[in-house]
Amino acid sequence: MNQKRADLGFPAGLKSVQEPDSQRRGLRMLFHQLRRPLICNSDRFGPILNYDLSSRSLRVLPFSSPAGVVRQVSILSQLKVGERAILVALNLPESVQNHLMHMGFVPDAEILVLRRAPAGDPTVYLIDGMEIALRHETAEAISVRPCESVVAQSSDAAKTNPSSVEEDSALQLAEARR
Amino acid sequence: MSACCDTPAFIPPPPRSPSALRTVVLIGPPNSGKSTLFNRLTGLRQKVANYPGVTVEQRMGLMAGVGRPDLTLIDLPGIYSLTPYSEDARVSIDVLRGRMPGTPKPDAVIIVLDSQHLTRQLMLAAPVLAVGLPTLVLLNMSDLMESRGGHIDPLQLARELGAPVARISATHGTGLDAVSLFLNQPGNGTGAPPLTLPVLGNAASAHTWAAQVSRRTGYQAPLSVEGTRKIDNILLHRIWGPLLFLMVVIGVFEVVFSIGQPMSDGFGDLLARGADLIRPFLPAGWIQSLLLDGAWKGISSVLVFLPQILLLFLFIGILEDSGYLARAALIADRVMRTTGLNGKAFIPLLSAYACAVPAIMATRTIENKRDRMATILVTPFMTCSARLPVYMLLIAAFIPNTVFLHGFLGLRTIVMLSLYLAGFVGAMTTAWLLKSSILKSSETPFILELPQYRMPTLRSLGMRLVDRGGVFMRQAGTVILSVTLALWVLAHIPPIHLGNNSWAPPELADSMIGRLGHFIEPAIAPLGFNWKIGIGLLSSVLAREVMVSTMGTLYGADPDTQAMHLQTALHHDMTLGGALALMIFFAFAMQCTSTMAVVRRETNSWKWPAVQFLYMLALAYGAAFLVNHITMMFLG
Repeated sequence: MNQKRADLGFPAGLKSVQEPDSQRRGLRMLFHQLRRPLICNSDRFGPILNYDLSSRSLRVLPFSSPAGVVRQVSILSQLKVGERAILVALNLPESVQNHLMHMGFVPDAEILVLRRAPAGDPTVYLIDGMEIALRHETAEAISVRPCESVVAQSSDAAKTNPSSVEEDSALQLAEARR
Repeated sequence: MSACCDTPAFIPPPPRSPSALRTVVLIGPPNSGKSTLFNRLTGLRQKVANYPGVTVEQRMGLMAGVGRPDLTLIDLPGIYSLTPYSEDARVSIDVLRGRMPGTPKPDAVIIVLDSQHLTRQLMLAAPVLAVGLPTLVLLNMSDLMESRGGHIDPLQLARELGAPVARISATHGTGLDAVSLFLNQPGNGTGAPPLTLPVLGNAASAHTWAAQVSRRTGYQAPLSVEGTRKIDNILLHRIWGPLLFLMVVIGVFEVVFSIGQPMSDGFGDLLARGADLIRPFLPAGWIQSLLLDGAWKGISSVLVFLPQILLLFLFIGILEDSGYLARAALIADRVMRTTGLNGKAFIPLLSAYACAVPAIMATRTIENKRDRMATILVTPFMTCSARLPVYMLLIAAFIPNTVFLHGFLGLRTIVMLSLYLAGFVGAMTTAWLLKSSILKSSETPFILELPQYRMPTLRSLGMRLVDRGGVFMRQAGTVILSVTLALWVLAHIPPIHLGNNSWAPPELADSMIGRLGHFIEPAIAPLGFNWKIGIGLLSSVLAREVMVSTMGTLYGADPDTQAMHLQTALHHDMTLGGALALMIFFAFAMQCTSTMAVVRRETNSWKWPAVQFLYMLALAYGAAFLVNHITMMFLG
C-alpha cells in the first residue's frame, strides 16, 4: 500500500487520518485508495476529512492547537505499547464520540498504550487513570500528537504534578473559545 | 474505618419541610458502587460485582438500613452522561427525569462517584445537578483513595457544586450517617445551583468544568495501583493468559467432580435416610407412596446436586467479584469478532453459565440493537447451571472414571468440558449465521472499561451462595414438586379394579403416563431414547433440572427399578449412544419457560422465543440423532 502511494508522489511514511493499516476492507478500500491521494494531507491541514468512509459523521471537533508547536497528527492505533501521546480528535459518529469523551477521551488528555490483548487486537489504553480497551478500527479513528511538544511547553509545575498538564491545556482551550 | 469518613461537609441548609420527600434515586457512573450502597441503605441483597453493567434495570427498596422505611430508594444502572446510548442508560435517564411509567418521580438524588477517578466522574455530576432536585454527592471508595495518597477538600467541592458532599465507603459502610442527615434535611443546596455549570450535552466543556472544579478543590488523584497491572501482565500475557484461562476452567470442573461428587453423594444419603425416618409416621398405602416414592424421591434426585451447583457459583462469584470477567471479554473479543458480535456481548454470555435469565437482561448494556438481539438469541446455548444435574447424572452413570496425566485430567471432566464447548460453539455458529443474514449491521465500536482487581469479600460471596441456594430450593419446592406430583398421579391412573372395593395401580406402561410415553416414542426412538426419557424431555420444557426429578419419579414408580439407585436404573435402561445423545440434546435444546418469558419481555413479541425454541429443538434433535448413530457405528 505504501509503495503505491509513493508512486503517486507522496513521501513515504506520510500518515493520514482515515487510512487503516491493513487491507482488511479489501475491494472497498482499494476503490477508495484510487480516489484518495489528491486532497488529503493531514500533516499540512490538520484533521481534515475529505470524504466519508463508512457512514461516519463528518463532525470533527475543532481543537485549537497550542501556538508555536509543530503539528504532527498521527493515529492512536499506530502507537506501540508503552508509548504516550496527546489526544487531538475523535473522528467517530457523534454518539460514540460523546460516549468516549465521557470516559475520558477528551482533547489534550494524555493517553498511554498499556498492552495488547493476547490475540493482539483490542488494545488497552490508560487514560485519566482508567484502563479502557478499544478495537483497532476505533483507535484508527482517533488522532493524536506526540507528547513531547506539550511537556516542553508547559511550566515547571506540570512536571511535579502530571495531572495539571491536562487541566492547564483544558483551561487554555476554554480561554481560546472566548 | 478511617477518620476520613465521619465528618460530612454541609452547606448550611435553607429550611424546608421534610415531608415532601418520598423517593430517592441513586445515580452515578458504572461500577462506582451504587448497588453496594443500595444494599447498605435498604438491607436488601441486590447483585453486586466488579465490572461495569451489573445493574441493568431500576430496583426499588425501602431505606430500612438507615432507619427510614418510609422512603423508597431506587437503584439505577450506571451512566456516563445524560445522553442515552444503550438500553440500560435509557432506563436511568427516564427514571431520573420522572418519565418512567410505574416508577415514582424522584424527590431527591444521591450521586455516587468513585473518588479514585473524580475528575472524569464529575462530568456526570453537572447535568444531574442541573436537573434541579435536592442532591447529595457521595464520594465512594474514599478509603481506597486516601490510602493511595489521594486528596480532596469536600467542603470546597460542596461550595463548587452547591450541594452537600460526603466521603463514604459503601463496602465497609463508613460515612453513611451523611445520608441520614441529608434525608432529614433534603432541602440542602437546592437554593442556588452554581452558575458555572457547563452547557448540557457538550462533553468538552463538561470536562473543562470538571477539571477546573477538581483543581480548585485540591483534588489529587491517587497513585495508580501497580498491583492490577502486575496481575494483568500475567493474566493478559500473550501465551500465559489464554493458557491460565483454560487451566482455571479445567480446574473448576475437576473440583466440581472430585470434591463436589462425594459431597453430593453424602447429601443424597442424608436425604434418603430422612425419607426412611419419616416413613413409619405415615399411613401405609397411597399417601406414603405419593409423598415418599413420588414427591420426595423426585425432589431429592435434583436436590443432591445442590453442593456441586454451589461450588460452580462460588467460582463464578470469584471471577465476577475480582474483576477478571472484563479481562475474559478482552481475551474473547477476537473470537467474537469473527462471529460479527461485539466483544461486549461476551460478558452476558459468560454470566449465562450461571443462568440465562439474568444474562438476557444483561444484554441491555449492548449499544447496538441488532447485536443485542443476536446475543439474546444465542444466550440459551450457553451451558447454564440447570443443565449441570442432567450432565452430572448421565456422566456418573455412563462415563468410566478413567484418569489421564497422573490424575490431573479425568475422562469425566473431558466429557463435561466438551459439552460446555458444544454449547459455546453452538452459540458462536448461530451468532455468525444471524449476523451474516437477518441481523446484519455495521460494526459498533467496542469500548470496554477494565476495573481494578479487588479481593472478593467473603460477605458478598456468601450472599451469592445463599441467594442461589434459595433460588434452587424454591424451584425444587414449586415447579419440581408440582411436576412430580402430577407425574405420580398420571402414573397411577387409571387404577385397576381388583373387586371387593380394592384398587391397585396399573402397570406403569398401562398408566396414563405410560400411554403418553409410548405415543411419542416413535419420534424419539431414532435418538436412542426410550419412552421414559421421552416423558422426561416433555417435562423438562418447564425447566431442565425437572428431567432428573422426572426420571427419579418414573423409575421409582416402576417395581423393576424401584430399589435401584437412579444411576444404576438408567444404566440398566439405556445404551451409551442414547446417553451421549441425551447429553448433546440438552446442550442445544431450549428447555426453560423462564428464559422464553424473559426473551418475550425483552424483545416485545412471542415471535423471537418461538423461533428460538424451534431452531434449538431442530438443532438438538439433529445433533442427538448423529451422536447416537455414530456411537452405535463405533461400538457395533
